[in-house]
Amino acid sequence: MAARFEYAQAEEVRDAFARHGARYLFLGKSGLILLGFPDTTQDADLFCLKDRANGEAIVRALEELAFQLEDVEREAIIRGKDFVQLKNGPFDLDLIFAPDGIERFDDAWRRRIDVEGFPVCHPDDIIASKLAANRAKDRESLPRILAFRDWWAAQRR
Amino acid sequence: MRYAQPVDQARPDAEWTREFEAAARRPLRERWRYAFIRTYKPVLDDVRFRAFDTMAEYRRWCEEHLPSWLGYGR
Repeated sequence: MAARFEYAQAEEVRDAFARHGARYLFLGKSGLILLGFPDTTQDADLFCLKDRANGEAIVRALEELAFQLEDVEREAIIRGKDFVQLKNGPFDLDLIFAPDGIERFDDAWRRRIDVEGFPVCHPDDIIASKLAANRAKDRESLPRILAFRDWWAAQRR
Repeated sequence: MRYAQPVDQARPDAEWTREFEAAARRPLRERWRYAFIRTYKPVLDDVRFRAFDTMAEYRRWCEEHLPSWLGYGR
């Protein structure tokens, strides 16, 4: 089992992905936490542009971050399989190339929020993905997430 | 794009607002330290890599293989 995802590692992800030109957005609860949502999570979800060149950039960044990828795993990322779960590195990471509830990466990118250099999906996109996923844990957390979205939006006015 | 809160769910209460305000006063590094935890999740944590061609396939795998109490089911 990988260790807890430390803030310094999040900075390394941000910097390595930027160095290799990989396009991604923080999604899910890790994205909300970056926006200020007080809650807990175990891993980070990255919504990645589904594009072969982007997949190759992500692989280079992950290997620089000490993820141990085998050929078949590299290929899954380069091909942009819809959902890739990595537990072969210093922390757990989910790569999502086609999240439920968000149609196009470029639309989400235009709506993104920058938090100290971390590109984060807009809370409405995170909510859309959770509504579409409709898992028990999403249904349980949505009332508080919706309250946070309203509070967060009011602070920005 | 904006999603309305279902009518049967509670509006933000004062306690949530206090929590949001308290979190906003903390630097990002500190918020991150409080937020990221690590506990073993059966099945999910038992392999080093998984990939699914479609989200539907992933959701189906969660339903069929993960303990329901993890909350990944629909």
